[in-house]
Amino acid sequence: MILNTEVLTIFILNILFLFFASIAFYLSIKIYLKWDINSTTTTQYTLEKQSVLTATIIKYIFALKLPLFLFFIFTLDNLSNLITGAMCAAGVVDATPYGTYLFILKILNIYIFGFWLVLHNLDTKDETLKYTKIKFGLFIFIFLFLLAEIILESIMFNAIDISKMVSCCGVIYSSTSTSLISYIFTLSNTTIILIFYGNFILLYIFYILKKQYLFSLFNLFFLIVSIISLIAFFGTYIYELPTHHCPFCYLQRDYYYVGYFIYILLFTGTFNGLLVGFLNTNNKNYFKSSLLFNTLFVLLVSFYPIFYYMKNGVWL
Amino acid sequence: MIKLQNVNKIYTINKNNTITALKNINLEIKQGELIILKGASGSGKSTILSLLAALSKPTTGEVIVDNKKLSKLPDNFAALYRRENIGFIFQKYNLITNLSVKENILLPLIPQNLEDKILEDKLNLVINRFNISHKKDILVRNLSGGEQQRVAIARAMVNDPKIIIADEPTANLDEKLSSDFCNVLKELKKLNKTIIVATHDPIFFNLDFVDKIIDINNGSLS
Repeated sequence: MILNTEVLTIFILNILFLFFASIAFYLSIKIYLKWDINSTTTTQYTLEKQSVLTATIIKYIFALKLPLFLFFIFTLDNLSNLITGAMCAAGVVDATPYGTYLFILKILNIYIFGFWLVLHNLDTKDETLKYTKIKFGLFIFIFLFLLAEIILESIMFNAIDISKMVSCCGVIYSSTSTSLISYIFTLSNTTIILIFYGNFILLYIFYILKKQYLFSLFNLFFLIVSIISLIAFFGTYIYELPTHHCPFCYLQRDYYYVGYFIYILLFTGTFNGLLVGFLNTNNKNYFKSSLLFNTLFVLLVSFYPIFYYMKNGVWL
Repeated sequence: MIKLQNVNKIYTINKNNTITALKNINLEIKQGELIILKGASGSGKSTILSLLAALSKPTTGEVIVDNKKLSKLPDNFAALYRRENIGFIFQKYNLITNLSVKENILLPLIPQNLEDKILEDKLNLVINRFNISHKKDILVRNLSGGEQQRVAIARAMVNDPKIIIADEPTANLDEKLSSDFCNVLKELKKLNKTIIVATHDPIFFNLDFVDKIIDINNGSLS
């Protein structure tokens, strides 16, 4: 087991989250089962008071969990200095069989927690509290994801063995990799670029046509396509190295932490895009935020190949 | 129109210690009425006022104002309701003594972010109505009790509320100032304001412009 300052911080926070989330879970079940907004009984008035407390607990857990994802990546990056063979967070993720699942679950949870926060925000703006029952019902379900994340995180840190040699990102993200990642490299760069920019243009088309479900669906595709494009194509221009495809190394100081900007823009843009369908709304703010962040993301990642070509006169 | 339907209010001190402040209250107050809630200390008068002002919720039952279920409002909407509909006059005025008359009166308007011109107009309207325009820049701590009372009334009126709630408004006033306050109530009634006064001061019981005097005894209407 590895226990440096960052991991210890994560453990302590997880214990606190688990304690408060368990209280919220118990109260959420109670609220979900007994809520009747038209009732004027003592039970209902008590539930209305408890719903404020419970929602506040959940809101702060989720609002803290979102930035903590970046701290988690930062922790993995730091751990890579302690694990033989690991050059960045990728090596740490690959050091145990749980790392990849935890990483995927964490990304999924970011979106789920974000959706809950948006739903809660809508509920507080409605004087009839029409989303209250839904949001607590949703939390009962989300609690299981939160629990799974905390358990998996603890298992992963517990399973890390610093005496064991792990693969570096150069091996993990290559065509010789034994994982699913190797399939990414069977696609040509031209195909990847066409799909990436094509998907991006479709987002604008669906915005103009006000097709909210298609807009959401193609935001989901855009998230997946973007991650593949980053690994297969754009990453190589950030590193200026045709063989280096790691999606973690550009989170490091050597690359001016540009990875944080890349992922924040991508996650914020696609999150807002997914909200359009999730809330079944034609609210321009969600459309515009999605397009703004996605466009900034595209401009940022496109800058690297263009700059490389202008500097060197060739493509990688 | 204000309605209280089957309202009970129980304050829980701890598991074994509860206080029943209101027992099955049913009450209707029409727009523009002046109502006196009469009763001894601890009878439940102030609890009714706090329910009408959406400062607290009943334990059971319902409070409805203009078809809005006040007792079901979330806190942020209850605050909005108070800001737009209620003017409070407190027994001890609850003025901020380190601020001037003008600053005290404009306090309820701060959340509305109004333009200076509109604020000035609203201020002038109330300070002229309650005859305190010459004191507007003076600190409240330098005013007499009667003047402080008028500032408190001006503050309650500055957002032009539909309902005015006064809790023992004459408890700290002498007979002359209490009589002046009654005249102010008459003026407010002419403006079609709904006024609810909780008091045990006999001066209110013989006023000819009072619509209803409601007796409260141990949390019940008698």
